[in-house]
Amino acid sequence: MGEVTASSVRAAFDRRRAATASLADDAGAVALTCRAMARRFHAGGRLLTFGSGAAAADAAHLAVEFVHPVLVGKRALPALSLVNDPATLTAVLAAEGPDEVFAAPLRCLAVPGDIALGLSPDGNGADVERGLAVARARGLLTVALAGGDGGRLAGSADVDHLVVARSPDPAVVREIHVTVYHVLWELVHVFLDDPDSLGEGAA
Amino acid sequence: MSGLESLYPFLYPGSVDAGSGERVLAEVTTSTREKVAEIEAVRSRVAAEHAEGIARCARDVAASFAAGGRLVAFGNGGSSTDAQAVAACFTAPGAPGPALPAVALTADVAVLTALSNDVSFEVVFARPIAATGRPGDVAVALSTSGGSRNVLAGLAAARRVGMTTVGLAGGDGGAMAEPGTVDHLFVMPSSSVHRIQEAQTTVYQVLAELVRGALRAREH
Repeated sequence: MGEVTASSVRAAFDRRRAATASLADDAGAVALTCRAMARRFHAGGRLLTFGSGAAAADAAHLAVEFVHPVLVGKRALPALSLVNDPATLTAVLAAEGPDEVFAAPLRCLAVPGDIALGLSPDGNGADVERGLAVARARGLLTVALAGGDGGRLAGSADVDHLVVARSPDPAVVREIHVTVYHVLWELVHVFLDDPDSLGEGAA
Repeated sequence: MSGLESLYPFLYPGSVDAGSGERVLAEVTTSTREKVAEIEAVRSRVAAEHAEGIARCARDVAASFAAGGRLVAFGNGGSSTDAQAVAACFTAPGAPGPALPAVALTADVAVLTALSNDVSFEVVFARPIAATGRPGDVAVALSTSGGSRNVLAGLAAARRVGMTTVGLAGGDGGAMAEPGTVDHLFVMPSSSVHRIQEAQTTVYQVLAELVRGALRAREH
């Protein structure tokens, strides 16, 4: 197994560069997403997060960022990951099938002022798509983090705010999503710290 | 007005009557760009400083799997979710290369709460490793500070068992950077917990990709 060399590591890191740089082009969309989420938090809404595979880990990560801020002095905000309860997940899987694993708990937990945030590395995760559709129908603000060309989520009327990591590699997409949700967490607080900046409307 | 300008007028300070809302939007946009530049810089430094070490680690981890070893990953908070992602990177179907046996110790809430309640939080990783670890297995520990006591105790238990140990840290590496603590150490050069986690994500995903790739090559 001598084929793994430092140059293969450097090549793998180089593959991250273009997609990371292109996130800077989407900074305006990220800022608008922060403001829309801040409006919901300001009005008492909660954040509900979901994704499958490694994105399930990201959904859990995103929730803990809001509930237990790493920066001292930032207030805790209400967030809940839908992926942490294997009893619920497997019950829905068995009874309603894999596409309903997020839609079903959302039907139980979500109220209209909440925020639904789904992560789908290719933008075509049917479970995330169904979750966002149920959320939108209930009046939640819907946020999607996707990758590649955005997949079906790119044209979806169920998605209020979409951020696309522009890489076909799901691993690279994940890394960009981690940066995006860290930024979402940190900069939501900039709006909340200055309620005048929230403007009119409920997003 | 250009297409981009009509979409995001707050990016063009002269084009709107900038109240507090537009001003904060513009600030947040700039801040987002700065954070993207930060992570790009951290990743570049990690590639420059650790390419050799990551390659060596990938060869060791691949050899462990080839000999029948398993991988366990652990960390606290956001790093606990990274531990789960580490396991998924090795087990997930669909990625190139064979699916490999890996588990996240943080996924077992029963064990975590039993040990926290009955013994102490410090042993939540050390005890399951002592109970199930075998010589030749791999332990992947994630701590942004390098100082989490339960993570360090998990590494110590893994070394006692004879496992290969991999540590991902940040800042100055903390106690994880002390000699004799870990076989393969990767310290992300940043003081931001967020940038550290983002760079760690790249390191473990590249590691998994190279390990699975090496074992696929070996199968053929």
